[in-house]
Amino acid sequence: MKIKTAFVVLLTVLALVLSACGAIGQAQPVVMRIGWAGSPDTLNPGAAVLTEAYTIFTLVYDTMYQLQLDGTFKLSLAESVSVSDDGLVYTYKIRDGVKFHDGQPLTAEDVVFSYLLYQNTEGYPWMGDYTYYFENIEATPNNEVVITLSEPIPNIDAQLVFLYVLPKHIWENEDPVEFENVAAIGSGPFKMVEYKPNEFVHLAKNADYFGGAPKVDEVIFQTFESQDALVQAIKTGQVDMITEMPTTAVETLKQDPNIQVVTGAPFAPSVTDVIFNQVTPENCPPDDGLCTGHPALLDRNVRLALAHATDKQKIIDVVLLGYGTPGVTLIPDGLGIWFNSSLKDYEYDVAKANQILEDAGYKDVNGDGIRETPDGSRSLTFRINWPSDSIDSPRLAELLSEMWGQVGVKLEAQALDPDTLTSVCCPAFDFDIIIWGWGSDPDPNLLLSVMTTDEIPTGSSETGYSNPAYDELYRQQASELNLEKRRALVWKMQEIVFNDVVYIIPYYEQNVQAFRKDRFTGFILDQPKVELSDVTSLIRVEPVR
Amino acid sequence: MNRYRYLLKKTGWALLTILFVLVLNFFLFRILPGDPARALTRDPRMKAEAREILRVRFGLDKPVINCFETLTPLKLGDCRVNPFETQFFIYIKNLLQGELGISYKTNRPVADILAERLWNTVLLIGAGQILSIVVGVAFGVFAAWKARTAIDYGALITGLVAWSLPTFWLGIILLFWGSTHGFPIGGKATPGSSTYPLLYQIGDVANHMILPTLTYIIVYMGEYMLVMRSSLLDVLAEDYILTAKAKGLSAFQILKDHAIKNAMLPIVTLIAINLGFTVAGAVQIEAVFSWPGLGGAIFEAVESRDYPLLQGTFLLIAVSVILANLIADLTYSYLDPRVQTE
Repeated sequence: MKIKTAFVVLLTVLALVLSACGAIGQAQPVVMRIGWAGSPDTLNPGAAVLTEAYTIFTLVYDTMYQLQLDGTFKLSLAESVSVSDDGLVYTYKIRDGVKFHDGQPLTAEDVVFSYLLYQNTEGYPWMGDYTYYFENIEATPNNEVVITLSEPIPNIDAQLVFLYVLPKHIWENEDPVEFENVAAIGSGPFKMVEYKPNEFVHLAKNADYFGGAPKVDEVIFQTFESQDALVQAIKTGQVDMITEMPTTAVETLKQDPNIQVVTGAPFAPSVTDVIFNQVTPENCPPDDGLCTGHPALLDRNVRLALAHATDKQKIIDVVLLGYGTPGVTLIPDGLGIWFNSSLKDYEYDVAKANQILEDAGYKDVNGDGIRETPDGSRSLTFRINWPSDSIDSPRLAELLSEMWGQVGVKLEAQALDPDTLTSVCCPAFDFDIIIWGWGSDPDPNLLLSVMTTDEIPTGSSETGYSNPAYDELYRQQASELNLEKRRALVWKMQEIVFNDVVYIIPYYEQNVQAFRKDRFTGFILDQPKVELSDVTSLIRVEPVR
Repeated sequence: MNRYRYLLKKTGWALLTILFVLVLNFFLFRILPGDPARALTRDPRMKAEAREILRVRFGLDKPVINCFETLTPLKLGDCRVNPFETQFFIYIKNLLQGELGISYKTNRPVADILAERLWNTVLLIGAGQILSIVVGVAFGVFAAWKARTAIDYGALITGLVAWSLPTFWLGIILLFWGSTHGFPIGGKATPGSSTYPLLYQIGDVANHMILPTLTYIIVYMGEYMLVMRSSLLDVLAEDYILTAKAKGLSAFQILKDHAIKNAMLPIVTLIAINLGFTVAGAVQIEAVFSWPGLGGAIFEAVESRDYPLLQGTFLLIAVSVILANLIADLTYSYLDPRVQTE
């Protein structure tokens, strides 16, 4: 009896509640709902590590420069810049009348405060690197910021693009590392409404934004922990856009007349690389180096043969279901002008690969199907490792094993815990071949540096590659102020490492995203890079009327 | 007198177990391979000095405990260091002060994260538990009452199948089905609804709970049903039930007044134990439906090697399981005084 009554009450409450749901819904603001599989690690721009955090920062904060989807930088918070003849002093004129979301004015003082905070806070993982060349930072009474560098660098824009301008009046009273910054008061085109870690980030438009107010009223990033849920959410219209999806879902989503799937180079390019241990005994790091690499990998002929024996298109079709482009060097196509598009990749040709090895003296003497080194001391059996948290690497390793088997090379494959991998990799050089990857800055300097001799003992060089000509070009490009000349140097460097077959780059992965075209329009789709959630797109997106 | 000693003994054991968990909890994560300072950022922009600063900040530069620098890889160290300068005793000291540490990944106090998520998990799993108990017990009684009929076998098979369904798979199936029928499939509330009227918000959360709760009920009711059925069948075979029948009582009266009460004992134990695990959440259900609970926290913490967060969640779970067991023990002794003398 009692149970019955309780049940009736429960049903009544449920009915009431459900009818309440229906009652709301008049005169709603235009809300764009975005589904993603991550969440910012923290809203403290100095302490944050994850891309999701940076996506939010570029919406909420202003920076001196804004990175465009074509890979170039545009002045944003500064209206003009002048550079001294020696390339050491940059004077930025900050826009007048810019206000933080709490109504306080943003001045050169805030910019200087932020840059000094980034430079002087030891607990910030990356900021020390971006502010490394700043010798002096000052504000002038004319709302200018004067940055004096310790040496001329060609890419101050790439240094400043991640230095978000924080309100001094809030941050000067906080511990720079521990401050959670949940309110995230900035001056960008969107302002923070509510942030629930691992649930959602709720933003509203900043109607006073100097670059023009966004056309949608609110943007909500909602976290979905499973990728299947993400796909299902856009299919059923619970979200209007998703920033990632499993490639297996692409074909089904393409069938949907209301959904547009877009692919292209990612905004923050990443590279998957096949690393050959090429460290020579002379270059073996004295403190940490074990240097147990297979000696045959020091021979360019072997690496070249392996490059010819690698069917990159097949790898892309199997591992990425076609959503990638064949890789050439460590500098990905997503880096725009820095990517050397003139390089022609080694063609897939098993016969040629076999011929190269044969000519170089690697013959299968004992007839077991695996070639031996010319002196007959070792067979071409290589260890290959990859981080155990990688989804694509096991398939890639399997394909390589199959492909290279055709030229008489045997692979002993084993996944390793990422930290174990770090400890065998570098600077220990206790491996033969590793499948791994890099994330990249918009500027090529970072990825170019990992192939220099100087980085062998630091652990940043994974290959142990050493070439004085390359090192010299690296030094030149790092201080070449002329863009066109620097580009030529950077292209030349790629040519060198390509010819030396320092790495085999199986592919450059593409970004695959989707949005509801029945609801929103105006995304930037005609640029080399695709990133629907980038600020440059979100500021101009509007609802379909 | 006897009762007092029993109480003391059980509480003592519970405290000891918690202490053991504290120690295990610490060393377990130190034995796992991996350096959290490395896992945090594998990036060439992260210079060795910056990494060192992070290590200092999280106390990872100190020896694990006297004589041991690190456990994996095993590196022996100085035995004469001040114990209070080792990671282990700092951890114990902080715990005693109620400090659970700072999450490596999110830079927030672990206690804050746990407090947020505990409530979400208790809400979801609590509702799931209660409903699966009600449904499971009801089906169990019904099946036992109709023992060895088509209904009984039907219920038995349904219970067994439901109990053995993989949670993750069932969750995905319900997610696919639910999303096409207008049910929300992620999170605990519609983002941005916090300014709406309270009634709407309650309805919204209830709406978000439907699919995960349904998954939970289907998977967990089987257990209650099977235990209730067999326990009731045992009771129904007792002589006093025969007597009741002979007195001419109706089947309903027999069940209600004589059988069910006595058959409830095993269920009470099961409920007490499962309630303890309520806090652990259901990692898989929370992951499928992006429910921001403790299960999800464990999932994320494992991925990013967030030791303080892992330790915090494990501790919370261990303590609640031990407490629930203690309560079960004490309730039992009250229900059935014979237990005390054993």
